[in-house]
Amino acid sequence: MTDVVQAPIPMPRMAWLARLKGAPVIPLVILGTVVFCAVAGGLVAPFDPNDADLDAAFQPPFWAKEGSWSHPLGTDNLGRDILSRIIAGCRVSVIVSLYAIAFSGAIGALVGMISGYFGGRVDQVIMRLVEIQMSIPSIALALLLAAALQPGLGTVVVVIVFTYWTWYARIIRGEVLSLKTRDYVAFARVAGVSTPVILLRHLLPNIMNTLLVLATLQVGQVIIFEASLSFLGLGIQQPDVSWGLMLSDARQYISNAWWAITMPGIAIMLTCLAANLFGDWLRDRLDPRLRQM
Amino acid sequence: MTALAPVLAIEGLKTYIHLKRGVVRAVDGVDLTVGAGETLGLVGESGSGKSMTGLSILRLLPKGAGKIVAGSIRLDGEELTTLPEKVLARDVRGRRVAMIAQDPMTSLNPVFSIGDQVSGPFRYHGGLPRQEARAAAIDVLQRVRIPSPEKRLGDYPHQFSGGQRQRIVTAMAIGRGPRLLIADEPTTALDVTIQAQMIALLRRLQQESGAGIILITHDLGVAASLCNRIAVMYAGRIVETGPVREVFRNPAHPYTRALLAAIPKLGSRGRRLVAIPGQPPSLIDPPAGCRFAARCPLKVSACDAYPQTTAVGPNHSVACWRAGEAV
Amino acid sequence: MLVLDQVSKHYGAVKAVDGVSLTVPEGQTLALVGESGCGKTTLAKLILMLEKPTTGRILFDGQDLAQMSRSQLKGYRRQVQAVFQDPYASLNPRLRVASIVAEPILAHERPDRASLKKRVEELLDHVGLPASAASLFPHEFSGGQRQRIAIARALALRPRLMVLDEPVSALDVSIRAQVLNLLADIQQEFSLTYLVIAHDLALVEHFSTQTAVAYLGRIVEHGATEDVFGAPSHPYTRALLEAVPQPDPDHVLPDAALLGEIASALDPPSGCHFHPRCPVAVPICPRERPAEVNAPGAGHTAACHLLAAARPLEHAASSP
Ligand SMILES: Nc1ncnc2c1ncn2[C@@H]1O[C@H](COP(=O)(O)OP(=O)(O)OP(=O)(O)O)[C@@H](O)[C@H]1O
Ligand SMILES: Nc1ncnc2c1ncn2[C@@H]1O[C@H](COP(=O)(O)OP(=O)(O)O)[C@@H](O)[C@H]1O
Ligand code: SF4
Ligand code: SF4
Ligand SMILES: [Mg+2]
Ligand SMILES: [Mg+2]
Repeated sequence: MTDVVQAPIPMPRMAWLARLKGAPVIPLVILGTVVFCAVAGGLVAPFDPNDADLDAAFQPPFWAKEGSWSHPLGTDNLGRDILSRIIAGCRVSVIVSLYAIAFSGAIGALVGMISGYFGGRVDQVIMRLVEIQMSIPSIALALLLAAALQPGLGTVVVVIVFTYWTWYARIIRGEVLSLKTRDYVAFARVAGVSTPVILLRHLLPNIMNTLLVLATLQVGQVIIFEASLSFLGLGIQQPDVSWGLMLSDARQYISNAWWAITMPGIAIMLTCLAANLFGDWLRDRLDPRLRQM
Repeated sequence: MTALAPVLAIEGLKTYIHLKRGVVRAVDGVDLTVGAGETLGLVGESGSGKSMTGLSILRLLPKGAGKIVAGSIRLDGEELTTLPEKVLARDVRGRRVAMIAQDPMTSLNPVFSIGDQVSGPFRYHGGLPRQEARAAAIDVLQRVRIPSPEKRLGDYPHQFSGGQRQRIVTAMAIGRGPRLLIADEPTTALDVTIQAQMIALLRRLQQESGAGIILITHDLGVAASLCNRIAVMYAGRIVETGPVREVFRNPAHPYTRALLAAIPKLGSRGRRLVAIPGQPPSLIDPPAGCRFAARCPLKVSACDAYPQTTAVGPNHSVACWRAGEAV
Repeated sequence: MLVLDQVSKHYGAVKAVDGVSLTVPEGQTLALVGESGCGKTTLAKLILMLEKPTTGRILFDGQDLAQMSRSQLKGYRRQVQAVFQDPYASLNPRLRVASIVAEPILAHERPDRASLKKRVEELLDHVGLPASAASLFPHEFSGGQRQRIAIARALALRPRLMVLDEPVSALDVSIRAQVLNLLADIQQEFSLTYLVIAHDLALVEHFSTQTAVAYLGRIVEHGATEDVFGAPSHPYTRALLEAVPQPDPDHVLPDAALLGEIASALDPPSGCHFHPRCPVAVPICPRERPAEVNAPGAGHTAACHLLAAARPLEHAASSP
């Protein structure tokens, strides 16, 4: 009945791995190492991170005059192996990042989608809340929450989620405001598709890229946030190991053991830098409009 | 066409765009001439290479990717393809060859007043003092029928309607008396009544100035009402050229015929449109033979080789093995 | 089937639709023409319930949309579908064609997989696409093919009324006829009523049975397409028709076809919106909004003081 139409030419679909082509290699290697250490740190670490050996206290790293290869990055005031502790600290960084990002992303995305999609009164109320939340200094909030709850990994996650969900909510709301005017959303409404289905099928997949980019960019901030809280004694507690805690422990001996504070510092710096560089690449790749954020 | 030397003569022009996906053969062997005072309509559907042909003349191709790979473009006998970029920018662009683009908003700078933008070329390139440049701007705005231009020189582009903006762009284009005017879809963004004003304006300018005009359009109605001669472009090549009456009355290329049968016309109520099956070929990997072959009702095995251009009437030539034959 | 009764939609100061009364009769193709910004798309959105009218009523089979119950609304959604202008914006880039076409069905029914697959394939076949298209993504298709997918989706619920907002203007010239013919074919096959929005007058004359001409939010002329095109009664319709360039080198466009610019919807002229551009305006024009009156031809009306003066007593019957 209709005129002839040529069959469409299928385009080869990119394999998932091929999408990483062009990704910055060094950041990827660093992040990979951190994740690996978090999962299998016990297998590669030379010592138990909490093994104290007072005879071996304050050993400098291997390249220093009195250093040795048995403790490549030296030991701290209790003679604990710094390399092993850094490796063990990966676990906390990764776990905190995962939970904090998952929750702040999920809450922020949900609130942002609702706010953007429904608009009107709902949007106004939510956005006021976000503004109030954003005007509270996050460290004060952290102190308050940590005091109310008990210091520990859970608290760290709660504080970070509390601080960061607004960031997701604002950006996702903006995204949804433009997505909801797309013709395919209008079509779905015309066809009588229910609102939850529209949100899930037409909006969520289209904000996934943005979410992914935001999440990667958040990693660095989460790690620093956790370190700061632990440094202040509001975060991770002994015997768990975290980079922030290592900084805090080493602070008193900074004049006789510079390495004890420098090594975890470098670990934090490298991981954040790697996460940010990878996040930048991902953003340029998936969602260049976010560059203004 | 007249026996006089043409203003513009293009021969064997090939402009390719190098992309990651492959080489887009946007213009792939185009011959064209435009005489003084003549309006040539370059018609064809989107992506057929009309704009690239126009941009090749000014060498305003996509940066890094677009390149003229073969052919010659002569303006009043002077070869443009070998002209250094600097000379082209100084003597040709905006001066001997001017351009009107489809979207007037992109041709006007939103942060400068109309007066600054229209008088600028007179001052900085034409070397006129301020007052005289202003007078020249008023004069040229009057020619494109902007009401009381002396009062509106201080206004900004957004304070004008779409039709007025397009006329201001036209004023800037004709200001310095170009030999050739390239108008790329100058009326496509306009409403019918405003389009009619623009068509009337272009027709008057052509009579007054004696410049050659290349009118790029996909609208056969606009082409018919403005042009002396028509060149039909399909997939990077010109498939038919001839005097406007010839092309519309006795189209000889199967594509031209199909196109004319496929568009609704006023007064043709109830007749079923004759659709052209399929879609244009990709310009990355165009077919070796006739590019219309996949959609052509007259296709024969000879069409696997690219058809030679043959004359079917005075100044009327067609690139088709079966030019002029009935279906 | 569909009746608009004094419908208006205001966005702040802009009267995008300003007191429009129209009837879309079953089985007909009503075309709404007019220049950019005259309120065509807004009217479509009102009918599709994507926006609520500021004032006025929209009746479907005699039922006011604003008063419908949930289940009646669901029924309305099944019976009224749409095809929009831009085939690139109207298909979700992340869904496969099969999901796109199946979406309206799944919003109303719970068919099993096999029968859903079969229905999707039938729909694709109706619009001239191969069954293999179902597993591909929209970006793998050309503009014309995408518009076919959009048509298949609109057909999925076997609607009675289809709103077509500029269905071919984003397509290549050589592809338009394919899609127009397809639309004509499915109209026959499924006994559809069309409300088509367009600015291309030749297309409207070709495609529609009734034509309504809009200017700055108001309908200025409405009637059978033969009457409106054969005997245009409103000065604006006449000007519009004269301004259409014809693919005929011997057709002469009147030189200064219509002087002046289209007024802004933000600040429309008083009285008859058209008066600053009207070549035959009379003193009352800037003062009073002209009423709709009968024009030559059955059910043919126009809103112009000159016609009212000629036929003062023959006021148009208000919409049924
Ligand atoms: N959401 C909105 N907010 C404010 N003004 C709007 C909105 N939507 C439309 N308008 C205004 O309403 C008027 C009618 O717009 P509409 O989109 O219906 O025009 P149209 O006839 O479909 O035009 P086109 O031919 O350009 O598609 C315009 O002046 C437009 O600027
Ligand atoms: N900036 C660009 N980058 C890549 N390809 C382009 C660019 N501009 C045009 N093309 C390609 O060149 C071909 C001809 O385009 P164009 O001359 O713009 O066509 P027309 O003006 O006839 O619509 C098309 O295949 C188009 O996709
Ligand atoms: S050369 Fe052959 S295929 Fe090409 S247009 Fe002519 S008849 Fe058709
Ligand atoms: S009412 Fe007056 S201004 Fe309006 S169209 Fe009629 S004559 Fe012209
Ligand atoms: Mg172009
Ligand atoms: Mg519109």
